[in-house]
Amino acid sequence: MLLTLSMIVCMTAASVAEIPLHKWIDMAVGVDSVAFENVAGDDAGDATFARRIYLDLTGAIPSAEQARQFGTDRSSAKRARLIDDLLTSPQYSRRMQYAFDTMLMERRPGKHIKSDEWRNYLRKSFAQNKPWDQLVTEILTADGADEKTRPAARFLLDREMKTDAMTRDLGRIFLGRDLQCAQCHDHPNIEDYLQRHYHGLSAFLNRSYLFTDPKSKQASIGEKAEGAVKFTSVFTSESDETAPRLLDLPPIEDPPAAEEPYTVKPDKKARSVPVYSRRLQLAVAMTDPANVAFRRNIANRLWALMMGRGIVEPMDMWHADNPPSHPALLDLLADALADHNYDMRYLLREMALTKTYQRSSQYKNDVDNPADDRCTVALLKPLSPEQLAWSMMQATSLTEATLEDLKAKHLKADAENAAKQVEDPLWQEEALHNALKSHVDTFAGLFGVVGIQTSRFDASANQALFLRNGTAVQSWVAAGSGRLTSRLAALKPLQLVDELYFSIFSRPPTTEENQFVTLFLEQHQDDRDAALGQLVWAALSSAEFRFNH
Amino acid sequence: MRRNQGCNPLEHEMARRQFLTGTMAGAAGMGILGTHAQADQLKRQEKRILQVFLQGGVSQLESWDPKPGTVHGGPFQAIPTSVPGIHISELLPNIAQRMHMLSIVRSINIKINDHEQGRQFMEKGRRVGDFPYVGAVASKYLAAPNSDLPGYIHVSSRGISDVAGGAAFLGAKHGQLKLEGVKPPGNLAAPEGLDAVADAGRDQLRLQFNQRFSQRRSKALTEAYDASYDQAARLMNRKAMFEGKASQQDLERYGAHDFGRYCLLARSLLENGAACVKVTHHGYDSHAENFNFHLEQLGEFDKPFCMLLDDLETRGLLESTLVVIYSEFGRTPKVNVRYGRDHWGTAWSVALGGCGIQPGAVIGSTNDKGTEVADREVDAGHLFHTYLQAVGLDSTAEHDLQGRSIPIGDPAAEPIRELLA
Repeated sequence: MLLTLSMIVCMTAASVAEIPLHKWIDMAVGVDSVAFENVAGDDAGDATFARRIYLDLTGAIPSAEQARQFGTDRSSAKRARLIDDLLTSPQYSRRMQYAFDTMLMERRPGKHIKSDEWRNYLRKSFAQNKPWDQLVTEILTADGADEKTRPAARFLLDREMKTDAMTRDLGRIFLGRDLQCAQCHDHPNIEDYLQRHYHGLSAFLNRSYLFTDPKSKQASIGEKAEGAVKFTSVFTSESDETAPRLLDLPPIEDPPAAEEPYTVKPDKKARSVPVYSRRLQLAVAMTDPANVAFRRNIANRLWALMMGRGIVEPMDMWHADNPPSHPALLDLLADALADHNYDMRYLLREMALTKTYQRSSQYKNDVDNPADDRCTVALLKPLSPEQLAWSMMQATSLTEATLEDLKAKHLKADAENAAKQVEDPLWQEEALHNALKSHVDTFAGLFGVVGIQTSRFDASANQALFLRNGTAVQSWVAAGSGRLTSRLAALKPLQLVDELYFSIFSRPPTTEENQFVTLFLEQHQDDRDAALGQLVWAALSSAEFRFNH
Repeated sequence: MRRNQGCNPLEHEMARRQFLTGTMAGAAGMGILGTHAQADQLKRQEKRILQVFLQGGVSQLESWDPKPGTVHGGPFQAIPTSVPGIHISELLPNIAQRMHMLSIVRSINIKINDHEQGRQFMEKGRRVGDFPYVGAVASKYLAAPNSDLPGYIHVSSRGISDVAGGAAFLGAKHGQLKLEGVKPPGNLAAPEGLDAVADAGRDQLRLQFNQRFSQRRSKALTEAYDASYDQAARLMNRKAMFEGKASQQDLERYGAHDFGRYCLLARSLLENGAACVKVTHHGYDSHAENFNFHLEQLGEFDKPFCMLLDDLETRGLLESTLVVIYSEFGRTPKVNVRYGRDHWGTAWSVALGGCGIQPGAVIGSTNDKGTEVADREVDAGHLFHTYLQAVGLDSTAEHDLQGRSIPIGDPAAEPIRELLA
């Protein structure tokens, strides 16, 4: 590790430019050093890699067809090509929509902004690969009054413009710091979290308020031209006052008061708009290059999305006593992202290209179970509720069968234009999403956590009861036209096992597995359909399916 | 790491055992032997909590803190109880005979008059923030690792939704299993056409798939996933219990109405290892006709609750079961123009007893008119600490969650020590 780092330091500027980021990442992790490779897992292999990258970038396992195709592709560049293909697919935007909606709104129900409008806004932002700083600027500056930018206002509006809720979540989600305990006093246990950090952040927003239009009842953000933030420690009774400021950056003083401080004066009937808005300063300060926490936070979160664990973990507890597992790596990622204009697709691509990402989740025979934060093996990532729902529907062929139905219906309804449309990947994705959304919502309700998100895995009896006995999964597992179980029933034993494994596990079966499944089916010849249903259910309910491994 | 100094990590069985301070002393000191062998065994091993939530806000003046003959006292009398000197409302005649099994805190001021905020504070012991409910904490630290039942079960006829089942960062496993009355939880029956043999067969297959996958991989996650299926299976085996088939004799004692049946179900759940059972009795939000409402509601509550209390005692479970009767707040002393009383978090009462609680005590008092706390003011933060200390948990320790340690009870509050046995 030390050796690698000093190597990085010694590199000349010219050679630095030639080395792509993914190589730097591997070096910062320790890849290729003998000591590291001795304890690190092997390459994941094509099949596992394909399943992993499909899940991470499109939110569902590949179809049996896609998995097979990738396996037979002989090109040496096929992994890189797959990454690029997936990053530009409509499914990528949907996957990022889910991931960022969960990150930003933490599964709270829609209040003032319809969840669907907000989600659509996120999806479209990812479809056009909107830079993170721009996305955040839009989210923090939208006031909800302009229809065009209204969905972006959900982050603030659906926190009811409550200063404490907004302040805490700004700190947690955009800066990686949960400053809640520093609201009433400097944090008792965390030296780095000071009361002035909390109140400096809240000073950007304490003049803003939730305005409800008396006629339309529509909520938007109003702002006063005055209001200071004073705070007193409940421990020491020391008081202080602060202008808006981000962590330890200099405070942003208000300009001298204008003679008329309002563009729109405060009134019961109108949303007040000050000439000088503290709230609009927030996005500027947040995305300012001087605010290192901003880029480190998003780099850490994108890393966790791909690798299953933040370099700082928990992701919102960054402080001296909970340092990054790989500080140089985190700075490398953060700076590269900022240098590339906050291009998240770029960073995800580079991470996907690393040996670190493409490693097996199995540790070597003679090695003890390694620590989670060393990157020596890939971590098991529990499928998100959305990944689980889409993957189960993919595995049981519900996705495919539904798409065929949708195409046929559309062709029937609009023969003239449909022929071209139904082959458009975006049309397909949106049509499928609309058709199967209710299932995804069911999974999100049962497997999702409302409130602070953690990367911890959690499984309840309620969830298992749903998987065991719930009508949705049962109907997917049952035989039916176009369903996996029926498709399997038509196949000869060897093909059958192959199809089962490719459909559900995205890989071919081993010899042992072939024998075990064949034996099971021989023992249940009297009711083969039922036996196949049981097999499909058991495979879907297995740990191998439940995790991105 | 500095922030972990002086607090025990609470994960895993070892820590759980350390955490149960006084468990052995409690078992050794048992005097009365229960009639049920199973219950007796439970009593040795575990402590648990029964919460009876009088939803809407029961009036302290019509229950635990009557002020007959005063300006706000209302029409009902106070009656003497089995504890000399303690009087409670005549609307609770059965409880009055059992006052020696319970205690009253008459000096609660939560400074909240909002249903949701009051309820959250009473459950979490904190005014704001995503903290776990008492029941979820009980599930985490009191539930036996291989219990058939989820740790935290809530029996209620109506849906007040609790975000994440009140588990917050403790995770779904400790969130409440909500039962809509005596109806089994959803998805408890095996799918139609799948008999027990086939169901067991497919589960066996699942384990075979898992066996291969778990080789040379970290076990923590896969085992947690496996455990959820085991728990589901155990719940399925207990289907009959949730259906709440009650004997004629029990129904005669408890009453055949909903709340009577809920109390009977609570008895089975507690006997079968649930760490916290919450039973909600709805309908105390008496903004109008407060007195008629309380006459009716408490009339329904008093008897079945006492039957449950008696059964817990005769089965030897009461000394290991903390019993709490609470609301989100009390009701205004001032009677409004509709003969109602309104929301009132300023000076009201809860009753509690059983495990770890000194019986027959009254903590604190309100002034003559009941308009203010006169003595020993406490809030939900104090109660939260008290509940946990009563069942042997150190409420001043911290939850240890992967690098984040969070005080279990609000560090700004303390248990009501004089109430603890």
